[in-house]
Amino acid sequence: MNILAYVFYFFITYIITVRTGLVFYRNGKIYIMAVLKGDAQLTDFINKMLLTGYYLINLGYAATVIRFWKSIESFSALLSSVGVMTGRIMLTLAVIHFFNMAVIYFISRRNNHLINHTT
Amino acid sequence: MKTSLNFTAYLIYLPVVLVLTWYVAHTLFKNSKVFMMDIFNGRSDIAISTNKLFETGFYLLNLGFALTIMEVAAEITNGRSMLEILSLKIGGFSIYLGIMLFFNLYLFFRGKRVARQKARLAEAVKVIGG
Repeated sequence: MNILAYVFYFFITYIITVRTGLVFYRNGKIYIMAVLKGDAQLTDFINKMLLTGYYLINLGYAATVIRFWKSIESFSALLSSVGVMTGRIMLTLAVIHFFNMAVIYFISRRNNHLINHTT
Repeated sequence: MKTSLNFTAYLIYLPVVLVLTWYVAHTLFKNSKVFMMDIFNGRSDIAISTNKLFETGFYLLNLGFALTIMEVAAEITNGRSMLEILSLKIGGFSIYLGIMLFFNLYLFFRGKRVARQKARLAEAVKVIGG
């Protein structure tokens, strides 16, 4: 049963991580661009670094917790453990995401450009 | 071996939670575009991007929380205890979701206020500077 759980788990985690990563990548570009006053090269660089770091942390974490998985005897245990593990991954993703947004926001506030652009 | 109702409980819990989260996030972020437009002075590309970023984060956070608390450790043996456990879980999650909703609304109103203050400040600076 554990192998079945791992297959489900990796499938779900992979889909969530990659899809949300792409959403963040596409929408984050404009956001960072506004902060950096239209410096396209630096924006691309930061955006790619953020995406790579995000993938590395998440997939690495996902692979690491496999080691500590309880052994599974029934379908209900399978469902619950896959659910709980996926939930933790999603929480981690959310925390990283909001942290990144907060950092970018504070940089922008220092530059005072993102909101106040009335010139 | 007695049949356990845990699996049934999960099968009820998951769709309810998914639909609840989807409904709240959909309603919130459909209407928040107006706030975002105000916050970013009508620059729609940044407003829509930021809205999307917040929406994805909201989904991740809430679904992650819902999945994290889904496990029922005890064996559920009869229908009554299943209903009680489910109502506790779903009710608790709804309260959490409501708090998150109001927190988001607070952020939007605050952002709007800050943006208006900054706009006024810039106006004043322009007037003083001639």
